[in-house]
Amino acid sequence: MLTLWNLFEATLLCLNAVCVLHEERFMQKIGWGANTQTQGFEDQSSMKFQILNLVRSIRTVTKIPLIILNILTIMFKLLLG
Amino acid sequence: MGTPAPNPAFSPTAYSPGYAPTGPPPPYQESFQLDANQDFNTHAPADFGFAGGFPSPMTSPAQISSMLQQPVVQDMAIQYGNQLAAQGKEAVQRELHKFVPVSRLRYYFAVDTRYVIRKLMLIVFPYTHKEWMVKYDQDTPVQPRYDINAPDLYIPSMGYVTYVLLAGFMLGLQHRFSPEQIGIQASSALAYIIFEMLLYLVTLYVTNTSTSLKTLDLLAYSGYKYTVMISSLLAGLLAGRTGYYCGLLYSSCALSYFLVKTLRLQLLSGSQGPEQPSYGFPNPPYAANPYSDAWDKPTPGGTKRRVYFLLFVAITQPLLCWWLTYHLVASPPGEGAGPAR
Repeated sequence: MLTLWNLFEATLLCLNAVCVLHEERFMQKIGWGANTQTQGFEDQSSMKFQILNLVRSIRTVTKIPLIILNILTIMFKLLLG
Repeated sequence: MGTPAPNPAFSPTAYSPGYAPTGPPPPYQESFQLDANQDFNTHAPADFGFAGGFPSPMTSPAQISSMLQQPVVQDMAIQYGNQLAAQGKEAVQRELHKFVPVSRLRYYFAVDTRYVIRKLMLIVFPYTHKEWMVKYDQDTPVQPRYDINAPDLYIPSMGYVTYVLLAGFMLGLQHRFSPEQIGIQASSALAYIIFEMLLYLVTLYVTNTSTSLKTLDLLAYSGYKYTVMISSLLAGLLAGRTGYYCGLLYSSCALSYFLVKTLRLQLLSGSQGPEQPSYGFPNPPYAANPYSDAWDKPTPGGTKRRVYFLLFVAITQPLLCWWLTYHLVASPPGEGAGPAR
């Protein structure tokens, strides 16, 4: 059943998953790098570009708050099961 | 006043730097560092005559509290408190305006009884309505009370509350009720709303579809499914499981028709010329675009993506209606207890 707590946990896990995709070690090896010069300007609106942009911005914005949220959730789950 | 007579020539330097000290400040002056007294420097300089007359030793708390009872000190404290409260309120309002556009919200709740009744009838039976265009009033949409096609948030919020209460009622009929169930149903429905809105927003962003549909509009249109859920639950009350499924089928068809007709005008209004009035969708919309070349790829922010998004919305709404209500309907007596949710 989808409750608010489940939704919160699911979003936390998804954000964590997005943030652990390392830029140098992983993304550039696959070709999802965000700084390649091979993208022409006509590629700017493709879905791949949008998704990679989204991943990069999520990573930048939520890196610090995610640390705090993770610590709080871990303590909460330890104490209350 | 229980204090001894003031000595007007003496002014303690601790909180009145404007006066020259007449001697080394006695050590007991530390007890005067009360917040209310600091206002004396900022907006009540005329009172220094009174404040300056408090040099006498007042070490006991009783004397300090009696000083706090003085009307002047209380006025100062009240004024300071009011100032803090006003600043706090201003700061809160500024922050709130950044997140929740309150003036936009007011537009969505500007409804009256006639609008609500006609809109509910429209959701249940949209097949005879002819004119689906939202009227505009100098580039801003007209308030819902003047135009039946405008989206509003009143019906969705009332529908949400009614759904929660009706869910509690139906659980009670099956002896599955406890007071926590109301909270569980309410937060579950709220989580589904949030999840659905996130899904739509992420879909719109990733496919780079540009529409004139605002977030609150999308929230309003997705909230109309609560009427479908309530009507199918009532049908299930009256006629059991078959009644529930019949009601669900009919009202989801009606809701899909209503959403498609309404959203088609909103989503596709930015694109080219007059639409064909046919209900069948996969007409090649970019054939009419004078700037397109013989390219297979849909134009960015293009009409085809909007059409797909519209279909996506129209299909997920009935699915969500079913998903949120099927566990509430009483199963026929031969099947045993329903699934615990």
